[in-house]
Amino acid sequence: MNYSQIAVLFGIAISIVVFAISTAAYSKSSLSDQNSSKVNTFGGHTPGYPTLQTTGDVLDPTSLVINPKDAVIDPMKYLRDFNYGRLSTTSNGTLRDFTMIASDKDTKEVSPGVFYNVWEFNGTIPGPTLRATEGDTIRITLINNGSKFHSIHFHGIHPSEMDGVFEGIAPGGKFTYQFTAEPFGVFPYHCHMQPLEEHITHGLYGALIIDPKTPRASADEMVMFMNGYDTDFDTENNFYTVNGIPYYYMHHPIQIDKNRLIRIYLLNMLEFDPLNNFHLHANMFNFYKTGTKLIPDEYTDIVTMNQGERGILEFSYKYPGKYMFHAHKTEFAEKGWTGLFLVKEGTNQTINESLNVTTIKNINNYSTTDFNKTTGLMQKGDVY
Amino acid sequence: MEIEGGNTHRISKRTILFGIIPFIVIGAMIVLLLNFSGTLFPSSIKPLPEVSIEKVEFLGNDMIVAFVRNTGPSEVTVAQADVNDRIYPAAIEPGRTLTRLADAKVIIPFIWNAGEPYKIGITTEDGTRFEKSVDSAAAAPRPTVGQASTFALIGTYVGIIPVMMGLVWYPFIRRLSPNKYNFFLSLTAGLLVFLGIDALLESNEIAVDSLAPAFNAQILIIIVAIVTLTTLLYVSQRLIQRASKRTKTDIAVEYKKGSSGGSEPDFGTRDVKSSSNSAQQKLLIKPIAISMMISIGIGLHNFGEGLAIGAAVLLGEVALSSFLILGFTLHNTTEGLAIVAPMAKSRKIPVTRLIIMGLIAGGPTIIGAWIGGFLYSPIATIIFLSIGAGAIFQVVYSIGSWMYHTNGSRGLLNNHWIIMGFAAGMLIMYLTGLLV
Repeated sequence: MNYSQIAVLFGIAISIVVFAISTAAYSKSSLSDQNSSKVNTFGGHTPGYPTLQTTGDVLDPTSLVINPKDAVIDPMKYLRDFNYGRLSTTSNGTLRDFTMIASDKDTKEVSPGVFYNVWEFNGTIPGPTLRATEGDTIRITLINNGSKFHSIHFHGIHPSEMDGVFEGIAPGGKFTYQFTAEPFGVFPYHCHMQPLEEHITHGLYGALIIDPKTPRASADEMVMFMNGYDTDFDTENNFYTVNGIPYYYMHHPIQIDKNRLIRIYLLNMLEFDPLNNFHLHANMFNFYKTGTKLIPDEYTDIVTMNQGERGILEFSYKYPGKYMFHAHKTEFAEKGWTGLFLVKEGTNQTINESLNVTTIKNINNYSTTDFNKTTGLMQKGDVY
Repeated sequence: MEIEGGNTHRISKRTILFGIIPFIVIGAMIVLLLNFSGTLFPSSIKPLPEVSIEKVEFLGNDMIVAFVRNTGPSEVTVAQADVNDRIYPAAIEPGRTLTRLADAKVIIPFIWNAGEPYKIGITTEDGTRFEKSVDSAAAAPRPTVGQASTFALIGTYVGIIPVMMGLVWYPFIRRLSPNKYNFFLSLTAGLLVFLGIDALLESNEIAVDSLAPAFNAQILIIIVAIVTLTTLLYVSQRLIQRASKRTKTDIAVEYKKGSSGGSEPDFGTRDVKSSSNSAQQKLLIKPIAISMMISIGIGLHNFGEGLAIGAAVLLGEVALSSFLILGFTLHNTTEGLAIVAPMAKSRKIPVTRLIIMGLIAGGPTIIGAWIGGFLYSPIATIIFLSIGAGAIFQVVYSIGSWMYHTNGSRGLLNNHWIIMGFAAGMLIMYLTGLLV
C-alpha cells in the first residue's frame, strides 16, 4: 500500500511538471498578446486564401514596402530612368561622359526585412542604365570606393584595354574607359574581378542601351533587369527580382496606357540558376534578341534567357485592367520575380491598332528565307 | 540533514565572507565586460543567428502554424516565411524580433494537402533561411472530447491492455522451477534493458531533430537518466530499510541464502565484498518493492511512449493504423511480464494490488498521449523519456541484485538460464519492435 501511494503521488507530481513545462512556452506568447493593441491584416491576396488578423507583425514581401532609406533601389524610379551622360561635342562627334562609383561596404534591404551586403555601381542594384546613340564616344570614369578591386566589363565592341578584365581598379583608384558605342542594341555591364561569381551576385551590374542612329519609334520605354540574391551564401538564390526588389511591382503596379507602344529593354544577370525568363499575361510581344536588329526575331508571350542574355520587347495592351508579368519558372515567380501592369484608358494613343494587327499577322509567317520581304514590310509599316 | 545534525555549529562571518569573495570578483568582471566589451574585445563579426522551428501544425485546410524559437547567441528578427521554399504572406506573433531563447508563432495562410510532405522555412533579417521538414501533413489534433477519447483508446490499447495481459502470466510464473524462474526474471531484465536503451535512443533522436544545439539536449538526457537512477536507488534503499523494519521476519525467511553469499570468487565478487559488511547486509530487496519499482519505471517509460505517440500524430509523422497499435500492444505485453516476475515467488499477491500496478504501468500512456498530442514539447518529451530510462535501469539493477542474493553462491553470470533469459528478453523486444 505504501508503495502504491508513493507511486500515485509520483505520477501526479510528474503530470504537474509536464504541464508546467509544456504550457510555459504557450502562456508566454499569449501574455505578450495582451500587451499589444495593434491589429494587422494579412493574407488574402490569392483566391481561396483567408484574410486574417494578427496582433503580431506581418511578414509579407508582396505587400510590404521597404523604407526608401534602407532599400537597395527605388524600382519605380529605375524603371524609366535613362542616364544619357554629360554631353559634349568633339571632332569625332558626340562624347558622353559618365561617372560610376563602385562600392562594396553597404548593407541594404533587398527584400522587406532582409538585409544583405550589397556591392553597387552608383549606390543601387542594378546600377544606372547608361544610354547612348550608335557612333557616340562613351567615356566612363570608374571610381573605386570599395574595399576590393573592381572594374567594369561592358558587352559590345571595344579595344582590349577597355574590356575591364585585366585592369583591376584598386580601392580608392580611378580608371577611365573610353570606346565608341557600337553596335546598337542592349548590353549588360558588370564587374569582372575574381571571384567573378561573388562580384556579380553581390550586385555589380547594370544595363547599357545603344540606340540606332535612326531612333526606334516613340514608345513608353522601360528597363527590366532580372537578378537574384543569395543571402545565405549557399550558391542558391533566396530571392528573385526584376529591378532589384522582389514583388515590388505587385504593390506598385507599372501604369501604362491602353494601346500605347511599350518597349522593354530586358536583361538577365541571374547568378547560379542556368536560366531565367519573362512571361507576359494576356498579350503577345515582338522580341528583338540582343536588340541588335530592327526586325523582331519572335512573336511570343515568353522569352527565356541565360545569364548575360538580353533583348527588346515591344507590345501594347488592347484592354484596360491589371496584368501580371513574371518568370515562367514558377519557383522564381514565387520567390519575388512577379509584377503587375496596370493598363489605363490612355489619352496618348499613338499607335494605330490595325497596324499592330497587320504586323502580328505577318510576323507569324516570318522565316529566314523571307528576310527581305519582312524587312520591306517593316519599312512600309514605318512605326518602329 | 540528520548526519549534519551532530556537528552543527554557527558559520562564522569570516567563513561567509570567504564564501562570498569569489562572487564579488565574478560580479565585477561581469560589469566590466558588459560595459566595455566593445573596447576590450573589438569584433566586427556579428554572431550567426540560429532559429529552430520546433513544431509545425496544420490547421483547418488553409493554415500552417510554425512555432519558432531563437536558439542563437543574440537577438534575431524574422523577415519572411515560406512553404516549400516559396515565399508566402504570413504573420508572426507576438512580434518579429525574438530575444535569446524567446519563441514566436508564425501563421501562414496556405491551402495544404493532407498526407503530403512539406518544408516550412523562416528567413531572418540577415537572409539566413531555417527549415523544418514535415513528412506528412495531418490536421493537428484539437483538444476536443472526441480527440481526447481517441487518445485514451490508443493509450488503453498500447498501455493498459498489454500490461494487464502480461500480468495474467502471474499464476504461470508462480509454478515455475527455480531455474526457469531465473530465466524469466533475467528475461524481464533483458526486456527492461531494451526499453531503457530504446528510450535513450528515442530521446536522442528528438534532441537531434527538434531541439537546437543551444539546449545541449543530448547531455541533458544522460544527466536526467543518471540523476533518476541514483535518486531511485537511494529512495528504494530507504523504502526497503523501512519495510524491513516492519516485516523483518518475512524477509529473514526469504533471504536466508542471500546473506551467506560472498565466499566464491566469481564475476559478482565486487558486489559480494561490498555487501559483506554488516550495514550492507540489510540490502535485502522485497520482491513487491521491485515489482512496484518496475511498475513505476514502466509507467514513466509508457508516459514517454504516450508523449511520443501523441506527438507523432500531431506532427503528422505517423498514420495511426491498427497494425501499428497491434505492434505496440504485442511489444508492451512483455512489460506486464516484467512486473509479475519478481514477486511470483513471494507470498500471494491480491488481485487488486496487481491491477493497481498494471494501472501505474499502463495508465500514464493515456496521459502521455494527451499531453503529447495537445501540448507537444520536445524538451518535456526528452526529459520524461530520460527519467523513464533512469527508472528502468534502476529496476534492472534491483532485479540483478535480487537474483544475485537469491541465487546464493552461484553468482549471476555463470548461470546459463540467466544469460539465456537476458538475451531472450532483449531479442523478444527487438522482434516485436519490428512490428511498430
